[in-house]
Amino acid sequence: MSNRLTRREFIKNSSGAVVLGTVLLTGADKVFAQTKPSTDKGTVIDLTQCDGCSAKDTPACVLACRTKNQDKFPKVDSDHLKPYWPQKTYEDWSDKQDISNRLTPYNWTFVDKVVVEHNGSTKEVFVPKRCMHCDNPTCAGVCPFSAIKKYENGAVVINDNQCMGGAKCRDVCPWDIPQRQAGVGLYMKLAPEYLGGGVMYKCDFCADLLKVGKEPACVNACPKGAISFGTKQSMRELAYNRAKEVAGFVYGDKENGGTSTFYVSKVPFEKIDKAIKKQKQETNDFKPGRPTMEVNIENKLDSFSGMALSAAIAPIAGIAAAGFAAYNKLKGEKNNHEEE
Amino acid sequence: MKRSKHGKIYRQSLSNRLVHWGAAFSIFSLIISGFGQMPMYKRYNIVKLPGAEWLGDYSITLLMHYVGAVILIFIVFYHMFVHLFQKEYDAIPKRGDVKESWKIIKAIITKGEEPPSEKYLAEQRLAYLAIGVTVLILVITGIIKVIKNISIAFIPHSIVTISTTLHNFATFFLIFLIIAHLAAFLIKANRKLLPGMITGYVDEEYVKHRHIKWYKKLVDKKNRS
Repeated sequence: MSNRLTRREFIKNSSGAVVLGTVLLTGADKVFAQTKPSTDKGTVIDLTQCDGCSAKDTPACVLACRTKNQDKFPKVDSDHLKPYWPQKTYEDWSDKQDISNRLTPYNWTFVDKVVVEHNGSTKEVFVPKRCMHCDNPTCAGVCPFSAIKKYENGAVVINDNQCMGGAKCRDVCPWDIPQRQAGVGLYMKLAPEYLGGGVMYKCDFCADLLKVGKEPACVNACPKGAISFGTKQSMRELAYNRAKEVAGFVYGDKENGGTSTFYVSKVPFEKIDKAIKKQKQETNDFKPGRPTMEVNIENKLDSFSGMALSAAIAPIAGIAAAGFAAYNKLKGEKNNHEEE
Repeated sequence: MKRSKHGKIYRQSLSNRLVHWGAAFSIFSLIISGFGQMPMYKRYNIVKLPGAEWLGDYSITLLMHYVGAVILIFIVFYHMFVHLFQKEYDAIPKRGDVKESWKIIKAIITKGEEPPSEKYLAEQRLAYLAIGVTVLILVITGIIKVIKNISIAFIPHSIVTISTTLHNFATFFLIFLIIAHLAAFLIKANRKLLPGMITGYVDEEYVKHRHIKWYKKLVDKKNRS
């Protein structure tokens, strides 16, 4: 059988291929890009109500979180702890489990305290901190092992059986939320000295409680009712209404492209952020675990949307270029044939 | 356009060479930037090497990975369709290729006579299939990973996990295949093919002795025209 291609065959082949390619590409987005379910839950953290449980040793929300999650905290055999080769260090919080004034693998929420000047007076502001449960979580997007899942109810959860502890999620999180514990997890079964670094831990929005229709532990525990829980939409409305009432501000709706946590404060968040940064500077505390509150911080994944579009167009462009090249070759061969 | 050179045979068109080197460079950039996503450059002190600090910046390596991916996807689709449109299937494995490639290897070791070959040797066709399938797996799983990062898109987590795992394993398999591809040139007999991917031409004498079936076809075609 001759391999010579006629113009008619070429048009038949190429039109079929282009149609098939287009169907595949347009069909793929229908399969994969289903509409996101709107069953998200959210919280409002009202800073005008929170007093950091000043009269207690540990704030009630922090205590409730620690009690509720104690079975999930890492269980480390300190004899097996080894530095991350070729580094000389490793991240171990197992001997500092009592720390409750920052985020650690054993402390998934804490209440930060800052002093700010606002409207001519000095104010103490207490800011409960934990994972914001972003709408398009950067941590989940870039995890090289897909160990982080965003649930339909809004919870962003790290699978401790899948996490290798590379801490990339902490590096890309605008608030450095996940914290690493060495000596536990999958990497211990592989080559613990040379690969991986442990498991990352953070607030999981009490995903197990949410599953059975209950509220997260911190919500119930707050004696001041400073933390509200409900559908994300109702929480957003509550946050903006409350902000209007107190002539205040909302944080968490726009940040990192949107989150499930809405802070309300009378003091602008720029001032709170500045105060945290100043305090970190003064105490020389630059280790992760004490997040700042940068206003309107952008989601780095969103800046790649344009590139994603290019990736979607690339196959069509490739097929078109192939058609153009093949047609030109066919035309060239025909001209040569006619000349002969 | 007719191309002829005394004592040489035109083996790789400009289109083929651009595809080969475009794929090579984009895959190289994807491997470098992909390892940056693992993450490993900070851990293994590679960022401390002079001029390598940028490797520790995810926003740079991720952008580099996206750019490399767009180029590779374009090349892969161009390559598949340009050969489909032109009905050129020389590199596709044929029945009996495994047996024939073993015969060629045996001939190289024992310095015996190789079976007559087409434009591509049987092992070249098998290597093409292995590299092609691996690259396709990387492209498809990579596209799923890209869609996952778009805020309005929703992909079931199970599909994302399968894609990520396949993407990671296929990367290591592709690196192994690239090493094998380069190692093929340790064999002296294969080195005559190298100029084909650079200038497009290979020695006629080489083709006459090794790619006997292809040479015969070229001579027949010349006699017909």
